[in-house]
Amino acid sequence: MAEARAEIVANVWKLVASVGDEVAVGDVLAVLETMKMEIPVPSPSAGTVIEIPVTEGQIVQEGDVIAVIE
Amino acid sequence: MFYEQGDDVTSVDTERTAPEHTDHRSVLAQRRDELAVRVEPKGSRVYTARERAEAFVDPGTFVPMVPLRKAGPTGGSGVVTGWGSTSGHPVVVISHDAAVASGAIGAVFAETVQRAQRLAIDKGYPIVYINDSGGARIHDGIHALHGCGGIFANNVEASHVVPQISLILGPCAGAAAYSPALTDWTIMVKGQGQMFLTGPEIVKAATGEDASADDIGGSQLHTTVSGVAHLEVPTEEAAFEAARTLLSFLPNRVGGAAKVVEPRPADPVAVERLPLVVPDKSSVVFDMHEVLDGVLDAGERFELMPTHAPSVLTLLGRLDGRPVAVVANQPKARGGILDAKASVKISRFVEFCARYDLPILTFVDVPGFLPGTVEEGRGVITQGATMLRAYVEAKSPVLTVVVRKAYGGAYIAMGARSLGADFTWAWSGSEIAVMGPGGAVALLHRRALKEAEEPTVLRDQLAAEYRENVARPYLAAEAGIVDDVIFPEETRGRMVDALRLLSHESAR
Repeated sequence: MAEARAEIVANVWKLVASVGDEVAVGDVLAVLETMKMEIPVPSPSAGTVIEIPVTEGQIVQEGDVIAVIE
Repeated sequence: MFYEQGDDVTSVDTERTAPEHTDHRSVLAQRRDELAVRVEPKGSRVYTARERAEAFVDPGTFVPMVPLRKAGPTGGSGVVTGWGSTSGHPVVVISHDAAVASGAIGAVFAETVQRAQRLAIDKGYPIVYINDSGGARIHDGIHALHGCGGIFANNVEASHVVPQISLILGPCAGAAAYSPALTDWTIMVKGQGQMFLTGPEIVKAATGEDASADDIGGSQLHTTVSGVAHLEVPTEEAAFEAARTLLSFLPNRVGGAAKVVEPRPADPVAVERLPLVVPDKSSVVFDMHEVLDGVLDAGERFELMPTHAPSVLTLLGRLDGRPVAVVANQPKARGGILDAKASVKISRFVEFCARYDLPILTFVDVPGFLPGTVEEGRGVITQGATMLRAYVEAKSPVLTVVVRKAYGGAYIAMGARSLGADFTWAWSGSEIAVMGPGGAVALLHRRALKEAEEPTVLRDQLAAEYRENVARPYLAAEAGIVDDVIFPEETRGRMVDALRLLSHESAR
């Protein structure tokens, strides 16, 4: 199991992946928005997205889990 | 004249001296045989201390200093010191011997290290420390502490004079971790080198925390989170190679000659792509390395701290054959923002490179300093100010180009003209302004936006106007704050011309 985490405090702008999706390493799971920049959140491993604990528009802190991959 | 004409100086009484002479030879031969006995390295180590020193320098060039020095009737000093060359340039090497009391630093060990440091400081040779030591030697009591302090003092003195590189090839505790922290650059071997004040057992006893040696002081921790070390490499050989490459970009001492090589043009594919690297939409990220590839000489780069504060890049490369220091925002990582850690990373790099008269080339695409409680709590004001200081005090050539955007305090901090940059340029599509369009419009038109029927439409319209009228680079160029607005493909030529001027012998 691997977790994709926010690398910076940001607003969750867009969720790209959904629970149940098959993803490869580096696939963009979500896009964060901070300082007027779009920050992609890549998948740290290949597998199935089993959990996305955030919603669009939510503020996340550095290190918060964006998605869980199994 | 020591001898009068006719004196027969070659006449010696061989009958009397021969037996004694032979005895001397056999004693020395025996001493050398004892030294040559190889103690098999423990754990994941590949080489002995002496072999490490020999493997680091050019083949066959290592010359040991005080190899017969003893710490007592039986033990050696616990450290191999000497000199050799890297690519023909002199270097002093200090290699801890983990086979002698785990490389612990006793009084004699410390004296031996200081002797080698003194040679390097007085004559001006870089020092490479091959560290593998458990810290101060308890048996030597306060004499060990006194010796460790002496090594630290020499580290500090040397830092004003010659480059110092530390390689971490084993567990380095206490004093053996502080000395590298006083040197310029620290390279750790993954899974083999650690740095910590105290090892796992003492941590457990002191605070109850259960942590492995790699948890407390492994290369992952120190090259990503703490920033204590600056590069992680897979093997001992890779550590030696990295140190040799790093030295190839540096003069041998402060004030020494730059190691200029045959100029090479930039990679032609990257040059062709250069005008297309920056995305049209200002919020979309890109890889700054692609910009650097289209400007710098093709060939070797040496990136320092690639995994710590990755929103900024600090690397050594060449332009027109001359070693240069590159500072850049990396939009691909965290949008290229500045924060407390990024500021420390840049300050350290700029200070070091300026000391060795390396030109500092700054490539700017910065959305700003990251605001908020976390960053303020990390002391971003102090760290950001340190970055300002580093640029102001840099006396080597400073060339800055804004490739996309430069807002607010971050614009100043990234080597602006006001901090003493020699020449600054802005790419034709770039934005330089006191604030980004979004923030500026919200402040300037607060009342209008509050009263508008469709505030988002009005905001977008005002932001577009701001971008067009206020943020374009021409205001900065008209005010003389940047020297010129240029096309991306002109960057290399401008920088080469400026460097030739600034490094001409008639400069300063």
